[in-house]
Amino acid sequence: MQELVLVQPGGISESESAREATQADTRREFEERLAESGPLAYRVARGVLRNTADAEDVAQEALLRAYRQFDRLRDRNRFRAWLVRISFRLALDRLRSGKRREQRDTLWSQPEHQPPAATAEDLAASNEFQAHLENALAELPEKLRLVLLLAAMEGHTIEEIASMLGISTGTVKSRIYYARRQLAEKLRCHANIIKTR
Amino acid sequence: MPCKHYKDALIEAAASDAEPPGELRAHLAGCVDCRAALEQEQALFASIDAGLHVAANAEAPASLLPRVRARLDEEIAPQRRWIQPLIFAAASVVLLFAVFLFARPHSTRPDNQAKQTPQIPASELPTTDVHNPNSVPGTQIVSSNVNSSQTRGHSTLLRPVASNQPEVLVPPDEREALARFVVVLQARREAVVALVTRAKPAKDETASLELLQINGLEIKPLEEQQSEASVGREQRQ
Repeated sequence: MQELVLVQPGGISESESAREATQADTRREFEERLAESGPLAYRVARGVLRNTADAEDVAQEALLRAYRQFDRLRDRNRFRAWLVRISFRLALDRLRSGKRREQRDTLWSQPEHQPPAATAEDLAASNEFQAHLENALAELPEKLRLVLLLAAMEGHTIEEIASMLGISTGTVKSRIYYARRQLAEKLRCHANIIKTR
Repeated sequence: MPCKHYKDALIEAAASDAEPPGELRAHLAGCVDCRAALEQEQALFASIDAGLHVAANAEAPASLLPRVRARLDEEIAPQRRWIQPLIFAAASVVLLFAVFLFARPHSTRPDNQAKQTPQIPASELPTTDVHNPNSVPGTQIVSSNVNSSQTRGHSTLLRPVASNQPEVLVPPDEREALARFVVVLQARREAVVALVTRAKPAKDETASLELLQINGLEIKPLEEQQSEASVGREQRQ
């Protein structure tokens, strides 16, 4: 005689409702960080990709990935650092894939918040300099580039960057210094500023 | 052009945003070219910082967060969409299986063949009058040359006969004899009816016994009979 198992839908719905409650808690907790951290992910991605559409895609993917693994993050205070690393890594992958390079618009060459140039010549010179800066930044080592981008973002102190990346403040300072020096070396010939005698 | 000796010191001073050291400061006070070079170098770093600031603080598109929230909703929704149909499908399968178990016949005995009676030619079978209430309950005899594979594959073919008609377990070699016996029984319907019909229960009445009416008895003496018998013997002798 075969035994039949009677499935009680009530028991399943209870476990499902408990799981949904956990999901709702996670979602609420994540939502609290989303408004602040969303732009951060976007800025990191844009700093690498220099493209609005690509940066938005990457930021969205980084936030989704962060949400999926949100339960694994024990120290929720490190969420921003965690998100920065995810965004930076995804942006680098996107940049390397090069699939959308042809479609990339040149927002870097037409920055939104740049102070208006006095003349058409200044604007052209400014756009040209930004293009060179874009190339120089892309050639920087990853460690230097990330620290430089974070340091350039509003509201990030040296201590915060050090905490975010898990490095000392001295390391942050030295990386910023070398990154700026390398950029200056690459851009000096374009700026044609210093010529030694 | 700045002095070659102070080139690195000028760049260092501009990059670090710090006050030039004493020796460089003294040189700058007397060297116009180096002072101009330092200003240009400081302008270069200022341009770099400005460009970085622009790049690093771009406003996120307004569509970013709504898109992320929509994707988050999609992340959760598919789980709900999949779980409930899965539960209902599993419950339906279990229910169907249970119905199948209860509805299937319990006649999957290995001696299924013995339940089947041999087929009698239709001409030999008497027709049973359905409308006649006295007709014999149908003892339908159906037989077929059943091999084991057919029995397994079409085990439900004979189920109506087995379930609706009386069944008799007969050894295989006696099936034909039984069939002929049934034919005979059906031919002698009255006898069968008498055998099959249940006897009416006797009414519970008190038995009444009538007294025997005995007329007057004539009693003859035994001696005469004995003398007659002895006379007869003497005469035969």
